[in-house]
Amino acid sequence: MKTIKLDKNPLKLVKDVLNDLKASPDLGIYKCVQCGMCASICPGASQTEYDPRDMIRRVLENDETIIDDETIWDCFSCYTCNSICPSGNNASEVNQILRQMSIEKGEGAQKIKDFCAYGDSFMEMGIGSIPNEFFNVMVKDVGNKYMDLKVNIEDIRTDLGLGNYILPKESTDEIEAILDNSGFKVRLEKIKRCKK
Amino acid sequence: MKTIPDKDILLFKSCLVNVEYPGVESSACYIFDKVGVEYYVDKRQSCCTGLGHYYDLFDQLSTTALAARNFHIAAKTNHKNIVTLCATCYAILKKTVKILNYNEDARNKVNTILDESGLPEMEYTQDDMDPSKNIFHIAEILFNKRDEISKYITVDLSEFKIATHHACHYCKVHYNDTIEGVREPNLMDGIVNAMGIDTIGWYDHKRVTCGAGFRQRFTNKEISLAVTSEKLEVLEDKNVEILLHMCPNCQMQFDRYQPYIEKKLGKKFNIFHLNITQYIALAMGADPYSVLGIQTHTVPIEPLLKRLKQKYDLKEDNRLKTLKSV
Amino acid sequence: MSKAQLNKNKSNLKIGVFLCRCGGNISDIIDMEKLRLSVKAEVIEEFENLCSINGRKIIRDNIIKKNLDRVVVAACSPITHEKTFQNYVSPLNPYLLEMANIREQCSWVNPDNITATEKAISIVNAAIEKVKYSQPLVPILRKTPNTAAVIGGGISGISASLSLARQGIETYLIEKEPTIGGSMVKVGKLFSPEKLAEECAMCLLNPLVNEAVQNKNINIITNTTLKSAERRAGNFNLLIENKARKVITDRCISCGNCAEVCPVEVKDSWNEGMTIRKAIYKPFSQAVPDVYTIDPENCKKCGKCQDVCRMDAIDLTMEDEIIPMTVGSVVIATGHKTFDMNKRPEYSYGRHKDILTQMELARVMGVNGPTKGELLKPSDGKVPQRVVMIQCVGSRDEKPGGRKYCSKVCCMVAIKHANVIKQHYPDTDVIIGYTDMRTPGMYEKYFKYAQSNEVRLIRGRPGEIEEKDGIFIVRLEDTLSKEPLEIETDLVVLSTAMEPSEGTVDVSNILDVGLTEELFVKEKHSKIKPVATEVEGIYVCGTAQGPKDITDSIVQANAASAKVSELINGGVELEPFVANIDNSKCNLCKKCIDVCKYKAAFIQDNMLSVDPVACVGCGACLWECENNAIEIIGQTDEQILSMITGMLKDKKPDETRIIAFLDSVGYVSADNIGINKINVPSSIRIIKIPSMNRIMPKHLLHAFNMGADGIIMGEYPYNPMYSKTKEKVNGLKQELIKNNINPDRLAFYKVYIPYFRGLANKFNKFNNQIIELGKIGSKIDS
Ligand code: SF4
Ligand code: SF4
Ligand code: SF4
Ligand code: SF4
Ligand code: SF4
Ligand code: SF4
Repeated sequence: MKTIKLDKNPLKLVKDVLNDLKASPDLGIYKCVQCGMCASICPGASQTEYDPRDMIRRVLENDETIIDDETIWDCFSCYTCNSICPSGNNASEVNQILRQMSIEKGEGAQKIKDFCAYGDSFMEMGIGSIPNEFFNVMVKDVGNKYMDLKVNIEDIRTDLGLGNYILPKESTDEIEAILDNSGFKVRLEKIKRCKK
Repeated sequence: MKTIPDKDILLFKSCLVNVEYPGVESSACYIFDKVGVEYYVDKRQSCCTGLGHYYDLFDQLSTTALAARNFHIAAKTNHKNIVTLCATCYAILKKTVKILNYNEDARNKVNTILDESGLPEMEYTQDDMDPSKNIFHIAEILFNKRDEISKYITVDLSEFKIATHHACHYCKVHYNDTIEGVREPNLMDGIVNAMGIDTIGWYDHKRVTCGAGFRQRFTNKEISLAVTSEKLEVLEDKNVEILLHMCPNCQMQFDRYQPYIEKKLGKKFNIFHLNITQYIALAMGADPYSVLGIQTHTVPIEPLLKRLKQKYDLKEDNRLKTLKSV
Repeated sequence: MSKAQLNKNKSNLKIGVFLCRCGGNISDIIDMEKLRLSVKAEVIEEFENLCSINGRKIIRDNIIKKNLDRVVVAACSPITHEKTFQNYVSPLNPYLLEMANIREQCSWVNPDNITATEKAISIVNAAIEKVKYSQPLVPILRKTPNTAAVIGGGISGISASLSLARQGIETYLIEKEPTIGGSMVKVGKLFSPEKLAEECAMCLLNPLVNEAVQNKNINIITNTTLKSAERRAGNFNLLIENKARKVITDRCISCGNCAEVCPVEVKDSWNEGMTIRKAIYKPFSQAVPDVYTIDPENCKKCGKCQDVCRMDAIDLTMEDEIIPMTVGSVVIATGHKTFDMNKRPEYSYGRHKDILTQMELARVMGVNGPTKGELLKPSDGKVPQRVVMIQCVGSRDEKPGGRKYCSKVCCMVAIKHANVIKQHYPDTDVIIGYTDMRTPGMYEKYFKYAQSNEVRLIRGRPGEIEEKDGIFIVRLEDTLSKEPLEIETDLVVLSTAMEPSEGTVDVSNILDVGLTEELFVKEKHSKIKPVATEVEGIYVCGTAQGPKDITDSIVQANAASAKVSELINGGVELEPFVANIDNSKCNLCKKCIDVCKYKAAFIQDNMLSVDPVACVGCGACLWECENNAIEIIGQTDEQILSMITGMLKDKKPDETRIIAFLDSVGYVSADNIGINKINVPSSIRIIKIPSMNRIMPKHLLHAFNMGADGIIMGEYPYNPMYSKTKEKVNGLKQELIKNNINPDRLAFYKVYIPYFRGLANKFNKFNNQIIELGKIGSKIDS
């Protein structure tokens, strides 16, 4: 049996979620009536064990184990839930906040470690790119033509009358400085160091 | 209904358009030039962080600081109306404007970051940008110009059965700003209808995601493609021949992976994938290679062109020869 | 009182001041001797208990013997005993009495003998100054004509009309459709929680309709809408537009020959568009009035009907008619409409024939409906294997187009239909997809009854309904088992939200009554005035006011008619403190009309008038009037200025005085401070003003000129004019700045009766603040 313990701060998790920078001012998490409308159209819910309604319930019940629950990583960030929730809640946004909490203090960093190359490329060029190992899988899935396209992209762009998409040096310097001062650089390093 | 601009536009470069479907950008420019939309592209503009943001790699503060830099570029060049080619850029930029406007603490933090980076001139002042009046998706601009567009149609595309896939991050994130339907999106249908062509309208799964799900395509490929397949199967049942897109990420999911899914399911989907800009440019008689950029597509567009009465110099077969091979 | 006496020079008036010791309550604190000596009047009497019968004798004897013109009673709060003393001053007009509240607002809040006495002196002085300008008045008696218009002929309108008519009130029942009966005639069956059974709606309604037809006090006017309305001294002048029926009512015998030959076929809205009718039609067989009607939008004027009509009843040239009428009261009973399913396209309503609303299902199952009462699917005429009902469609939904409220009846309607289906088609599976089943009171029994009838319930709100190979798929999460489900079914029924009808919005706009955020008619107070609107004499009942079932609609209809009859029979007596217009100064700029939220001011025969029944004397209009054409009786400028003078004229140089203008709520709150013996600074001098809207710059400037160091204004925030007041305070502060007075010397507070402690705190705080600012006129002000 579960006990709802006498607890000084029984709404801590909801409050943390609502205080997050990502949280919209009108995020209606408290108003959730557990109707399940979000889950009924959620691709994550139809394909996996993830359930946005249940995730919201656990946040409201201050169940902090939700932060490191594997299922939250099965959300597609498609915002369908957000577009229909009759109570003004936004499960998608809550999910993204929980993932950030997991990255900051839980096991989430390992979930995104493989994407770090995107961050590196961004720091360097101001544009992200698909990390190599995923790219290789794509080439395998899509076919060699895909590789050819990548190699010839500059020429194709020239044919299309488009300029170079690489940012000038001053710009990439600015971006690097911003990302350094915003803490992104440190964050990225931390994520890279985490153990799988 | 919101007011949609046709000038002072910063055409916001998209990282996926850049390297996956650059023809989307050239088609957009082609249409803009025809119908008289004044726009500008700035090479200093950075990516919105979109994919990285939704890989959960970027934190909201960093994304917001980079957005402030791009807003500065837009304002300085007197092109404050940002028009995105990608739905993710649209949603991210709108969200960052909102944060910068209502969250004083975040605004101060961003400004401090800019100061520390030696870019004090880029500081953001509250309400510099208006999330509803300065951030648009290209499909909105095209919808607004639909009557003008219809005047330039020279190629008859009415023989194809058309369906639309509306990008989630356009329709469902900032739904109060979405035009032509959130629960039943019809923005692209409206453009196509104005060109005198019917779409199939509503279909089961019309508003469902493409399935890319950012990380899902890479870390959960099976479920990601399961979502894509469901949609493709409904479209196939309805004999759809062209699926229109408004986001390069959706377009990738369908175009790059359709052959893969076909192999897995052991069936053939005869569906071409075109961006709404490519579709309009084609109807306006633009060149498939030097404007639409169909040479970057995985599902070949040449069979579609062959069915058109128009004569095209089809380079499908020798395309690879013109490309450097690896 | 003679004219001569009235016009007597104010200083020659003979004023009697009666001081009450209140059994020590007053005299233990206040130095009565000193008080008596500092008051100037013809007569000054002191007594132990003025409110006693002996007190009455003293007051009356003095009035008669000394020929007094005015009386001041310095005693308790007017809230406690003003009525008593108004009686005691007879034969003097009761409005020539003024009370000085030296108990609740002086001796009980000021334990210090010296300052309390000083305060008492100024309170008595203020009353003396004010009473000099008082005039004899008579209370206003409201008389309302014995006529009423009921707009909307559904169950609410019919019930209200019957109740009015039975009380002898001449009633016009105005309905926009060609027949009365509204939604109730369509629903077929009604649920009866006590009997656990369904009853025939038509059988219950018909006797009422017949009575309405027969009652000679009721004029049923169908095919008619309200076009315009004007308010005239308690009356309403209405213009109604009667759409040409093109059939002469007295001649038509309802044989139906015309409809047989009419070539035009249109969807029959009475059957929710599921059947066909002709351009000449009668909505349903029991329709009242029992005549045919031509629908001008669809009629092709072919004349075929005219040829076959043996009664010569058809007149295709008949034109619409505008009819004026004057009534004493109006009851809005314009009902509701059902949710527009285009706003929730994911439920595929309109894409498939077998997705119905509950109202359509009611028609399908109505014996006079398209299938003569059989449950057959519109697509193929077969009995459905399964019916899935979806609750809260469009209700309890914050998303654009949705309705935030619960529509209140749909849970019961769904259960009713589920029960009916289960009784007649036990093999049809019925599933209700719900978020909460709301079946309060006795309805819970009916809910249990449905469960035992094998109606199934799944807790979840569906996200979409799709069709796949001729079968519907309802997608929802079974939230109790945490399982996303696809329910297959061949009939879907949507429990759609109730929305305000267009008629409700139109009529409210024409009558100038307020609407809620959701566009239902707003009641004056949802708890204690549930059928009154913001406009005196206009009442509301039924679903025009919000979602409700038939029982509640009838209850409300009867309540509304009781209110109309109160107005007519009660002849309410009201205090005469209302706006008075000097028409020689008024240039008809209408600014006062625009500002008055009580809609009391109006123009009639090129003259501005104020309906004394509607006016509350708040004074907001005075501000707007550039010609000084308005005054508030009992609160004239002279009276306010003289009270201020009285409160301040003996102020000593080293003293701090603060004038507190409080509205009636604030005044009671201040009394409560006294009753609870909480101390307040001796500087506070309270003046009662009906609304802070009455306070104008000249009043404040006069107070500061007379030496006030600070001014407080206190107003209860839940009155219709409050928003105006708030705007005004800023303007007042600007005025102060212009006159080199520090705007911090003016404070504006919200007041509430139970929060008297808060008010006492505010007095204290403000007092300290003023002491810090220093005396009026000090450096800081310039
Ligand atoms: S988040 Fe919204 S849709 Fe989901 S269960 Fe809660 S109220 Fe329903
Ligand atoms: S955003 Fe996530 S939770 Fe919401 S519907 Fe999409 S996958 Fe489900
Ligand atoms: S209008 Fe004439 S034909 Fe028609 S129902 Fe009346 S009497 Fe009969
Ligand atoms: S005149 Fe009009 S109502 Fe009469 S038969 Fe012709 S169409 Fe029908
Ligand atoms: S009555 Fe029932 S179905 Fe109707 S809105 Fe309320 S809860 Fe929903
Ligand atoms: S005093 Fe108030 S209620 Fe009376 S007419 Fe003026 S504004 Fe209206």
